This record gives sequence, structure tokens and C-alpha cells, in this order.
Amino acid sequence: MMHAVDSRPAPAQAPQATPPKPVKRVRSRGQRDSGVAWLLSLPTLLILIAMLGYPLYRMIVLSFQNMRLRELFSGATPPWAGVDQYTKALTDSDFWGVVARTAGFTVVSVALSVLAGLGIALLMRRVTRGVRMFMMIAMMFVWALPQLVAAQAFRWLTDSDFGVLNYVLTELGLDYSSHSWFVNPWEGWAVITALVLWAGIPFLAISLSAGLTQVPKELLEAATVDGANPWQSLRSITLPILKPLLMIVTTLSVIWNFGLFTQNWALRDGHPEPVYQTLATYSYTQAFGRSNYSFGSAISVITVLLMLGVMVFYIRQMFKIGEVD
Amino acid sequence: MARHDDGVITVGRSRTGTFFANATGIVFGLAMIFPVYWVLITAFKPDREVRSFTPTFWPHDFTLDNFRSALGEELFIPSMINGLVITAMAVAAALVVGFLAALAIARFSFYGRKAIILVVLTVQLVPFLALLIPLFLMLQSVNLTNTLVGVALVYLVLLLPYTVWTLRGFISGIPRELDEAAMIDGCTRAQVFWRIILPLTGPGLVATSVYGFIQAWNEFIIINTLNDPTNQNPMAWLLHNQTERGTAWGPLMAGAIITSIPVVVFFLLIQRNIATGLTAGAVKG
Repeated sequence: MMHAVDSRPAPAQAPQATPPKPVKRVRSRGQRDSGVAWLLSLPTLLILIAMLGYPLYRMIVLSFQNMRLRELFSGATPPWAGVDQYTKALTDSDFWGVVARTAGFTVVSVALSVLAGLGIALLMRRVTRGVRMFMMIAMMFVWALPQLVAAQAFRWLTDSDFGVLNYVLTELGLDYSSHSWFVNPWEGWAVITALVLWAGIPFLAISLSAGLTQVPKELLEAATVDGANPWQSLRSITLPILKPLLMIVTTLSVIWNFGLFTQNWALRDGHPEPVYQTLATYSYTQAFGRSNYSFGSAISVITVLLMLGVMVFYIRQMFKIGEVD
Repeated sequence: MARHDDGVITVGRSRTGTFFANATGIVFGLAMIFPVYWVLITAFKPDREVRSFTPTFWPHDFTLDNFRSALGEELFIPSMINGLVITAMAVAAALVVGFLAALAIARFSFYGRKAIILVVLTVQLVPFLALLIPLFLMLQSVNLTNTLVGVALVYLVLLLPYTVWTLRGFISGIPRELDEAAMIDGCTRAQVFWRIILPLTGPGLVATSVYGFIQAWNEFIIINTLNDPTNQNPMAWLLHNQTERGTAWGPLMAGAIITSIPVVVFFLLIQRNIATGLTAGAVKG
């Protein structure tokens, strides 16, 4: 694995001297090199500007206009609406409900999945080899399953009439025959969270368990000999070494779970009820379901702004890695 | 002090502890795999067994009817072909374009390098769904909505940041000394590229393209929004596969299996690289 360097926790790299800079030796060529490098990067930059930069700009402009179906079909410039879309969103209790729900779900699901992922990763270091192999294979299959297929699987498991979940619960003596899991939003969200956890744990557990192999065994052994209990070793040795990796996977989980879409979309058959709307589905439903393109754009802009804080954090971590080699 | 051959320390570890750890591990593995198992066996059950209030944990009558009926659906095969065409176009374009940028970032130190890294990392995290409205308008103005090329263009952008970042990692893994030695021996920069970097990045290119394939194959909401129902990929087809009388679970699960096979196979082939790719490249399909 040539690029394994990337997931190695930063402290392991810290003692490294600054990377050799061959530039100094070939300074005379510096200017030409710079030109070549920009030329090589040009296609990527052009595509990103055309297909991301420009749409981003259009999205912002659109959020200050009022584009409806008529403008979409006629191609006419939509009338300007100033900050109307934003006022509409920010004074709408539905919208605040969506924001609160998305944030609440993100906090709960990320906390649960990172804790579970760490727990499973630690468990994998403790079990015997065969069991570890079995856990690994099970997680690989779950991870490999496309998100949409995973969501359909959960829709099938929780089907009110033929779902195996109701059957098992009824067999256990609880009356769950023909129980619908999405009538009560708390139950519905529990199913969604279970799906997100189930699908997310493999990535977290496997990355963290790879990170755990970087924890020097000598340190742990020495601590044990010195009388540290497992909890103390975990807190004072393992977690500090794992910290950079933990930060990256947590940030990634925040970004993914904050943008929750597929699971709700599939479990609610493409028509999430108000209590199952998240920022992503809400913006999509407003734009494409109700042809409120500008309102949808305004919500997207707000979503991006909300995510920016988390993204800054992630990018700083990744930047450090990119600078090392 | 004992240490297992696989390097796991066992200081102060009791047999009962290991027993409970193993038991927990097995229960966890079974819980994880159960939904996958349930999709599999549902696909092989006849309709009356699927629609039974007492589910069977192993199909009584093994049948391939569900696969036949999924494959026989009017739009299934076309959507598979669409998926392959779009994915191939997007992955090929992302590899060519992304490799050049990765080369620049990994091998040249130049003014603006940091800026390019920053751009690549940032756009990787832009929520694509948010851009669907303007993307739709853009593609519409050049008559590319409801075409495969239009969707492939969007997927190209979806894959590009990850491709650049991962290939950068692979290229950085090749010792610079090789380049320098070749240049001292009289190779030009272009020759170094063709004879050293490109061949040595081979495995990286394969891993990156497979990963790109997985991502593009798994996407459904972009194509679902940009294209008519007749021009979908397999995932979007899966979303549409509902009958008037509710969900036909058997064929749906069979369809889910067929559309997942390429992804699962590819994933298992490159799984060693994928955790690294994700923490470094950070994209989830």
C-alpha cells in the first residue's frame, strides 16, 4: 500500500524532517516547472470552475430571484426577489423544524456511530483470529452494498405486513403484527438511525482498527505491567495516538449524516412526510417537487453555510496530510 | 508475558474475557450480515412465500422467478447499459484529467500548489444535491438534459476531486530518487512520466477507477432528476420498481442483487485500499 501514509496518525510522522526540496537544486528550471504544473492542473480547474464554480454562483443568484415552472420552461429571466426567499425560510417554523431535526439527527447518529465504530475496532483487537475474520467479512459485505439497496433492505425488513422485524417481535410476545414503523416519528427515526449506523459502522470500525495497529504494543504492554487498567491505557495511550484519525472520521460522519438523503428518500418512497424531512430532502422537495427553485436554492445556500464550519475543520486536517509528502 | 502470533498482546487477558469477546464479535457479525442474508433469500422465494405472514428463514421452494421477472422488465436491461456507458465515460475522463493534476500536485512545487489542493479538497465536500437546480438549468441550456453525456459530465465532477487526491497519494509513493536518477541518465520530464511514473501508478489507477465505478454506479438522484424515466441507470430503476399493488418485494430484491453484484465484487477486490482512500479521499457513494 503505497499511500498508506495518509491514514497513519500524525504523531508518527511528526519527528520526520521537512521533506527534501529538489527545487533548490533545479532553481533555474523553477519558472518553467511552474508553467508545466499549471498546464497539468488546467483541465481539472476548468472542469471544476465550469461544473461547480458556475453552478455555485448560479445557485446564489437564483436564491435572490423567484424562479418557478414558468421561467424554467420559457427560459425567461426570473424576477428579482431580494432576500424574500431567505426571509421566507428563516421565518418559517417548518424550516426551523427541519434544521433542528437535521442537527439533532446528526449529533445522535454521529455520536452513536463513532462510539460503536471505536468499540467494534477495539473488540476486533481482542477476539481470536477466526472471529475477527468473520466480523471483517460481515462488515465488508455491508459496506459494499449500495446505499439505495441497503435502504430497500431495511424497507423490506420493517414492512408492516411481511417484514421479518414485526414477525420476530410478535414471536417474542409483543404485539407487533401489522405494526407500521413510520406512523410514530420517533420509531421511524429509530429505523433510519439504525440503517445509518448499520451502513456506517463498517467504514468507521475498519478505519479505526487500521489506526489501532499503529499504536505501539510496547507502550500498552509497559502500561499493563505498570498496573494500568484497560480503561486507563485506552484513555492515556490509545486515544491520543488515534486522535487525528478519529477527528477525520468524525468530521466525515458529520458531513455525510448532515446531508442525509438516500435513506429517508427510499424508506419513505420518495415522499418523505414533514416529520421525515431533513435539509437535503426539504430543499429537493421544495425545488423539484413544488417547483420553488429559488426557495430550494436559498435552503441549499443556508445548508452549505451551516456545513462550512465543519468543512473548515476537515480541510485543515487533510491539508496537514497533503503538506507532509 | 504472552503475545499471539498475530501481534495482539494478551497481558492480563483471561480466558473468560476472550470467550465473551468472541461471543460479542460473533453476535455482532451475525447482526450485521442478517439484512444482507434476508435480501438474498427473499430473492429466491416464490411470491406466495414472500407474501406470507410467517416468514421462512430458508426458502421452502427455491425459485429463480424473481430474477426472471426483474430481468424481463422493459427498462431493466436498458438501464444497465445506460449505467455502464455513463460510468465508463465518467471514470475514463476523470482518470485522464485527474492524473495530470495529481502529477502536478505530487511532483512539482510551484506557486499556487496550495491553492489547488485547497480547491480540490473543498469541492469534494460540496453537497451535490444543492447544485442540482443550477446544473439542471445549465445542461438544459445546452440541450444535454435527458442525455447520457449530460449525466456523465456531472459524474465526472463528482469523481474528479477524489481521483486527483487519491492519485496524488499513489504518485507521492513513488520515490523521487527514481525520477532524478532517470533525469541524470538523460531522460526528459516527459520520458520520466511515460517510463516511470505512469507504469508505477498502474495499481493506483486500477484502484481509483474501480472506486470511481462504484460511486458512479451507486448514484441515483442526479440521474433521476436530470433524465426521463426511460433514460435511467440501474439504481434509479430500482427506485422506480414499484407496482400499482404495492411493492413486488421478490423481484425488487432480485433486482437489488443484480445491480449490486458489480459493486460488491469490485469493492471486495480493492477493499484493502478503500479505507485509506476514504480517509484520504473522503467520498462516500
